[in-house]
Amino acid sequence: MMAATLPLAREGFHAPTIEEFEWPSIVDLHLGGLDLSINRVVLQMFLVALLVWALFFFAFRKPRLVPSGLQNVMEAMVDFIRNQIALEVIGHEGIRFVPYLTTLFAFVFLGNVGGIIPPVFFPLNGRMALPAVMAVCSLLLFISVGVSQQGFRYFLNVLFPPGMPKAIYLLLTPIELISTFVVRPITLAIRLLANMIAGHLILSVFFVAAGYMLTSLNVSTIFGVGALVFAVALIAFELFVAGLQAYVFTILSAVYIAGAMEPEH
Amino acid sequence: MTESGPPREPSGRGADAVWSIIGTLVGGVLAWGGIGWLLDRWLGTSFLVAVGIIVGMAGAFYLIIKRYGGG
Repeated sequence: MMAATLPLAREGFHAPTIEEFEWPSIVDLHLGGLDLSINRVVLQMFLVALLVWALFFFAFRKPRLVPSGLQNVMEAMVDFIRNQIALEVIGHEGIRFVPYLTTLFAFVFLGNVGGIIPPVFFPLNGRMALPAVMAVCSLLLFISVGVSQQGFRYFLNVLFPPGMPKAIYLLLTPIELISTFVVRPITLAIRLLANMIAGHLILSVFFVAAGYMLTSLNVSTIFGVGALVFAVALIAFELFVAGLQAYVFTILSAVYIAGAMEPEH
Repeated sequence: MTESGPPREPSGRGADAVWSIIGTLVGGVLAWGGIGWLLDRWLGTSFLVAVGIIVGMAGAFYLIIKRYGGG
């Protein structure tokens, strides 16, 4: 099969497909019907988790009054999450969610930038598992915040928003149920996943095309130079998207937590 | 993030409103479209999913106008 397709692959240009996101397992591990095999993405996930831990550990191990180096950078990040997200969206009560939100932001961002850092070149959140698990974490968090602040009246307040005519609840309650507990986590996860898949595919297409055109040694070599320049510019754009998506994921988690703190008026 | 109008709520709530409106619209279509689809399967009809989607849209618009349209 490979022998038959290889000569064909040399003849024409083959654009990268969604198969870019499939990795073979390095260590096969099956426990009670669960596939816990470790592949490249899982390894990258462990590395990013370790990196997040190490960054915060070494930055704040011996904190100095006048911060410098790593402590400076990490303090700027914590300050940003604290002031621009926690205090701004949730209010003073938001201070106690700063650790969750900061960890979330750092993990999503470092997972995303893997897409443009050699030799990794793979965005961790381009696989559904991580965005899905993080979205479920945020879902469970805002539900538990709601229950701890309002008791089980939280569910009543969500499903039967106050200040509406009674008969209209027949229409609105299914909408509130789906939009709060189903649409929120799904959109949170898909927004991140889709941005990472699209970014990675576009980058792959431009680099593969640049390589193909530059080595073709005919008139399209000129276009290859253009594709290469554009691909490098796209790396900068992907860095921006990586930060933006981490910010959006974090701020929406904060918005949902804020919504669970008090019944809507 | 800052709004030029009179400050009604903390400015971070701007993003809240946008995402909440989109979520409500999608939720309305999914919830009532889903109910219509289930009724279609149960009754053997095929038009209730469309009715459900329209009802869901209408409900979502009602909710959005009630919640954010007050001014």
